[in-house]
Amino acid sequence: MNRLHKGNRSVKMQYTFSGFLIVIALTLGGCATTGDVEQQTVVSKTDPYESFNRKIFGFNDSVDNYVAEPISNAYKWITPQFMQTGVFNFFNNLKNVNVVINDVLQAKFSQSAEDTGRFAINSTIGLGGLVDVAKHVGLEQNEEDFEQTLAVWGVPQGSYLVLPILGPSTARGIPGAVFDTAANPVSYIGMPVQLLSMLNARASAEGALKFINEAALDPYVFTRESFLQWRNHLATDGKAEASFDIDGLEDESLEGDNGAAFSQDSSGDANASDKPGFALRLDEKTKEIEQVSYSFSSVAQSFDATAKSFEQAGNKLDELKKLRRRR
Amino acid sequence: MILKNMKLTVVFMFFLFGTMNAFALDEGGATAKQVVEKFQADLIEVMKDGKKLGYAGRYEKLKESVSNSHELTKIARIVVGKEWEKLSEEQQQKLVDVFSQLSIASYAHNFKDYSGESFVFDSEEETTRGGVVVHSHLVIPDDKPVKFDYMLKENGNSWRIINIIANGVSDLALKRSEYTTILQREGFDVLITKINEKINNYSKQ
Repeated sequence: MNRLHKGNRSVKMQYTFSGFLIVIALTLGGCATTGDVEQQTVVSKTDPYESFNRKIFGFNDSVDNYVAEPISNAYKWITPQFMQTGVFNFFNNLKNVNVVINDVLQAKFSQSAEDTGRFAINSTIGLGGLVDVAKHVGLEQNEEDFEQTLAVWGVPQGSYLVLPILGPSTARGIPGAVFDTAANPVSYIGMPVQLLSMLNARASAEGALKFINEAALDPYVFTRESFLQWRNHLATDGKAEASFDIDGLEDESLEGDNGAAFSQDSSGDANASDKPGFALRLDEKTKEIEQVSYSFSSVAQSFDATAKSFEQAGNKLDELKKLRRRR
Repeated sequence: MILKNMKLTVVFMFFLFGTMNAFALDEGGATAKQVVEKFQADLIEVMKDGKKLGYAGRYEKLKESVSNSHELTKIARIVVGKEWEKLSEEQQQKLVDVFSQLSIASYAHNFKDYSGESFVFDSEEETTRGGVVVHSHLVIPDDKPVKFDYMLKENGNSWRIINIIANGVSDLALKRSEYTTILQREGFDVLITKINEKINNYSKQ
């Protein structure tokens, strides 16, 4: 994750980048004009607000094209590679405070010790985080955040949302992001540093955005699917069996006529099916404003569930501890 | 001592020939693991010669390799979901054609240079419905490894790749969402136009 853009060595490895950067990047979306096709024929279970989301996606895309990308390109042009890497490492290192907190909340105690060590090494020998020394000692950067913790605690994912400027998220991602922001030291440093942090995020997203641009037939759907699948992969620490959904896919298309089951997307289902009521399915006549208000209520539900799970955090941790010990 | 060494050498030679024979069997009766490893070896080879071959050269080399290891017709069919039934026979053929071209083109475009990457086999498991998943990962110097899981199905007497899951992102599910969305919103002709645009863009760089 250290080298920011090394060209396209692999189709797939860039998916990782896309997911990773989407979370932190300023504007995501990436590419190609979203041809406004008004009628919404595809109602996806995880994306009931598609037509609204598409508009925000289009907006983010223009912001990216006209503001973020030019600034980021200028940054990359005037800044030598070693400094860019240093900046990336610096912010990445600060993120570890958050990672450690979430390790603990998910009862991953040995990992939290490693990540603490990682943070300590890089903050000292690594010159305040500018050099990623820990990597060479064999301590890899782990990806943990509150959204994942909430997932582990059983808060349902909720519907897919594209936020203005911030990009792809889910109903669960919003309370998650609130806590992540609160737990990240960068949030308290002040403007110039935060600006640099945003520049860094956009610059690191370059490869992912380029890849989406090249590979996506429908950039909106491409971003949504890879985002949801990637988040699911992270939340389950790679244990989610995405591999099994192919059997389902195959059945549907080869035997093919259970239309109802078909319109739903495979990704994120593991979470979406946790509890009904979060991924609200809208009937076609519903007006947009109502969709938005639904989306707010679904976010409100996520906050609710978050609050509840915090109340029960003690119990959750005990349960998780037992679970991990059994493994 | 010398004798023992010779014995070892002989054993080693047998082992070597054994594996070579396994590779030679490729066309008929190759196991799922062999199909994946052969394909990965081809990819790495193309990456190593990437610069010299150029896009056209990589495309030519990968054409055979991809078609021999992937079940492209079936993938194209799954990718459009139940829309497949609604397509005329001509359209179905057209779709399979351009889809195959796109798959090869994207490999040729993305695997163009080499900086010490290698694939490592992890494990193999059978799925409930007679498929096999081959777990492997790509080692990239100075970077995190990328997990590659290949889903294979048996076709006749050989195994073919039907889905690739990279770091948890399923290629098939991703493409299926895209293709069905475009088919439903914009129709078959737009889908084909878009695919052709992508192939065209890939070939330019």
